[in-house]
Amino acid sequence: MQEARTARALPLDDLKRIVGERNVLWRAEDVMLYEYDGLSAHATPAAVVFPSTTAEVSKVVALAVRTGLPVVARGAGTGLSGGAVLTEDGLVLGFSRMNKILEIDLENQRARVQPGVVNLDLSLAVSDAGYYYAPDPSSQKACTLGGNVAENAGGPHTLASGVTTNHVLGLEAVLADGSVVHTGSACWDHPGYDLTGLLTGSEGTLAIVTEITVRLCRKPEAVKTLLAIYDAVPDATRTVASITARGITPAALEMMDGFTLRAVEEATHAGYPMDSAAVLLIELEGLSEVVDEEAGHIECACLENHAREVRRARSAEERDLLWRGRKNAFGALGRVTPNYYVQDGVIPRTRLPEIMEFMEDVGRRYRLRLGNIFHAGDGNLHPLLLYDKRDPDQCRRVTQASAEIIARCVELGGSITGEHGVGIEKNELMPLLFSEDDLALMRRVKAIFNPEGRLNPGKLLPTGKMCGELRVQASAGG
Amino acid sequence: MEAALTASFATLTSVLSEEQVVRDPAACAGVAVDGLAPQCLVLPRSEQEVAAVLRFASEQKLGVIPCRNATKLGFGNTPRRYDIALSLKELNRVWRYEPDDLTVSVEPGMKLGDFQRFLARRGLWIPLDPPGGARASLGGTVAANAQGPLRLKYGAPRDMVLGMRIATTEGKIVKTGGRVVKNVAGYDLGKLLIGSYGTLGVIVEINFKLFPLPAHRTTWRLAAPNLTQTREFRRALLSSPLGPLRTVTMDSEAAALVSGHEHDQAQSYEIRVEFGGTETVIRRSGEMLQSMARALELSETTLDGASAEAAWDRVADFESALSSVFSRAVLVKASLPISAGEQFLELAGLEAAKEGTRTACLNHSGVGIVYVGLLTQEVRPSLGGVTNSLRKAARRLGGALVVLRSPAELKRDIDVWGPPGDDFDLMRRLKEAWDPQGVLSPGRFVGGL
Ligand SMILES: Cc1cc2nc3c(=O)[nH]c(=O)nc-3n(C[C@H](O)[C@H](O)[C@H](O)COP(=O)(O)OP(=O)(O)OC[C@H]3O[C@@H](n4cnc5c(N)ncnc54)[C@H](O)[C@@H]3O)c2cc1C
Repeated sequence: MQEARTARALPLDDLKRIVGERNVLWRAEDVMLYEYDGLSAHATPAAVVFPSTTAEVSKVVALAVRTGLPVVARGAGTGLSGGAVLTEDGLVLGFSRMNKILEIDLENQRARVQPGVVNLDLSLAVSDAGYYYAPDPSSQKACTLGGNVAENAGGPHTLASGVTTNHVLGLEAVLADGSVVHTGSACWDHPGYDLTGLLTGSEGTLAIVTEITVRLCRKPEAVKTLLAIYDAVPDATRTVASITARGITPAALEMMDGFTLRAVEEATHAGYPMDSAAVLLIELEGLSEVVDEEAGHIECACLENHAREVRRARSAEERDLLWRGRKNAFGALGRVTPNYYVQDGVIPRTRLPEIMEFMEDVGRRYRLRLGNIFHAGDGNLHPLLLYDKRDPDQCRRVTQASAEIIARCVELGGSITGEHGVGIEKNELMPLLFSEDDLALMRRVKAIFNPEGRLNPGKLLPTGKMCGELRVQASAGG
Repeated sequence: MEAALTASFATLTSVLSEEQVVRDPAACAGVAVDGLAPQCLVLPRSEQEVAAVLRFASEQKLGVIPCRNATKLGFGNTPRRYDIALSLKELNRVWRYEPDDLTVSVEPGMKLGDFQRFLARRGLWIPLDPPGGARASLGGTVAANAQGPLRLKYGAPRDMVLGMRIATTEGKIVKTGGRVVKNVAGYDLGKLLIGSYGTLGVIVEINFKLFPLPAHRTTWRLAAPNLTQTREFRRALLSSPLGPLRTVTMDSEAAALVSGHEHDQAQSYEIRVEFGGTETVIRRSGEMLQSMARALELSETTLDGASAEAAWDRVADFESALSSVFSRAVLVKASLPISAGEQFLELAGLEAAKEGTRTACLNHSGVGIVYVGLLTQEVRPSLGGVTNSLRKAARRLGGALVVLRSPAELKRDIDVWGPPGDDFDLMRRLKEAWDPQGVLSPGRFVGGL
């Protein structure tokens, strides 16, 4: 059946002519892998193409226009909202060959890269010179800068330094008709509407990004990492507010609950205390004496809020180990459950104690195990709901429980997603935040860029096909 | 025409009360743009009233320019049409203030100075030092994405706005973004409004992220004999672990304008650097700065407290300092690679000298933004040529240049924004989608949008 459809609609020869024979996948067994991203599996692509230049991207898009096929850009496929999968028959544009760092300009604190460059590779490339690229999603060893721009990715260290959109100066992009445009520039101000800011976070539904100019940051003189250990979750969440009240903005402020840290400890042996109810992982950056001074204040804030103990990482190795535990946490939980579903709600950070209590209650009512590991400093929650997707009843409970959590986040003045994006996961939930007028304006803007829905169809905006439902179909853990 | 308009303004008073529609010629002259005065000045008191005025203007196909304190009103092309000045003066309330969450919603008519005083009571601030300084309104600052040298540490309005409410030309209120510090739900339409100079919609409420006020601040002044030295200092400062709040370099004319008295001619350039934080930060920064200065043989002094703050205010309000002395001055702003600032200063001096004019240059040297004032007391048509050469130079260096201020007589020959890029067609279609009748600041923006 696959073969029959392919033979009918797919301009295979043309695609091969554009990107080269070896850079097109179309056999069922080859394209199957591209049904998935971090959220779930969807339509099987008719073909997966790997361009190596902007001109090739442009030609593939122009061909897609002629043949009426949708196009979805794909970085590493680590997205958690279903952004990189097709909702219908179409082409996947893989960026693994467009993975060059084109220019590094340290005096001007910027770099120009292709979208397939892996996030961490950019930081590594400038590390010896004393620089780094600030936004650091926990998936940074795998995810691409193109995917980061599309999702406006955050990470533990974006608390102090800002998310992707604060670090992108300019873009080159291919539009839905195959034409190429340049937005922004390599400087800080650019006359005209901020199309760079609009495209960042547009989840591949407005244009396909083919080149990115980003800011690089100077590495701090000193880094200090603290681990505050608690016997009760509310003590940990209250500490977050006390730290803010002291006028200190740590570089990172992450929280992990007891259940999660036990799974992490078993997987990574990072030195997390097995018997605690919660930990805060706090990092300070700056001048060395200042970091010491702040560490003292933070320690006070933790102890005032009944931390059992505050440890300081004594070496770079200890620090790396603590972070490895944090960054591999999803994987670690994957070892203890057949499936999990990651939520990404946001609340004003002072409401942390009450949302944690609420989530505990939700877990009880739906008889679900919840693990929490998240960016506490900016109120970006990541409850992981553990389940087995072979059991329809568990699936239903996970969906309902998640929907309740998201609704509560909105009631508290927060958002349905802080960094993972809307995709096909939450597009039907957009009316929780936005009125019909708000959405109409978004549609009007989309129509300018992507009038036929050629690029990444069925994402971000409500389709009206489902009524206000969350789409949960989490992949196997691990 | 006049009679028809009068009749239609009468319908406007069915939406607003009599005293909110000011037709007094003197008041209208006060908000004139390039010598063009509007037919009336309206003062809505709520977002709904703003929306109603916009709907009215769309129906009547009138030109509307939103304003507050007119600190940035002279900027942009001469409007194609200007019937209504939409003053946001009455919209100056703080709605949701959550100091513990470091967030606030505030109306656009609030003045920056008043807002800072309000926030300071809880030890907070919004780290903005845009042109206009304390007099600038929050709405105007955001609409222009205006920021001064504080951009080095804190970014621009685009980095501090969490969400906003916007009155559209259809007469609707739409919202974008939210009130939390992290949020990726939906298109970030706020980014389009930030820096749009009131050509897409009228911002009626802004959600900001707030910052703790640094406990201590110190400003250092350094004297440098030439641009080689200022360049070396900039490199040393930016590659050091110090995180200055802001830094600027001024030529002697700019330093004289900003300090309000004749400048010591022996020192050709003045550098200012501000540090903020705990006493430890101030001490460590001071030590490191002094050793940098010693290595480069630059003399240095400090400014503290109120005098430093006032000095930075005058830096922010460079345009007023310039125009109060040189009423017909032309002022341009180049956005350049950080490394090209000094080169551009030199070039500006040479280009101006060719036309027998002096320059006052202010380099926000941490971020590559250079202001060049062409000092003149009379309208000098040849300065159009100078701005064109400077634009060419800025573009050659990979940057862009806009003309912030010029006598209206010169604007006909001066391209305020410069040629748009290959993304202009998208901008044009965005403008059409948001403002199909072309009522908002018609013709004033890039490419005549
Ligand atoms: C273990 C784990 C931890 C994570 N931690 C974080 C975190 O801390 N913070 C965070 O923000 N996210 C996190 N994520 C989510 C995910 O890694 C990010 O969203 C990341 O930005 C996706 O990058 P990617 O290259 O995998 O993109 P993909 O998943 O391949 O694609 C994501 C979206 O980007 C679009 N896209 C990709 N390339 C382009 C392009 N060139 N032009 C236009 N659109 C394009 C796709 O169409 C899709 O809509 C995590 C995911 C996992 C699995």
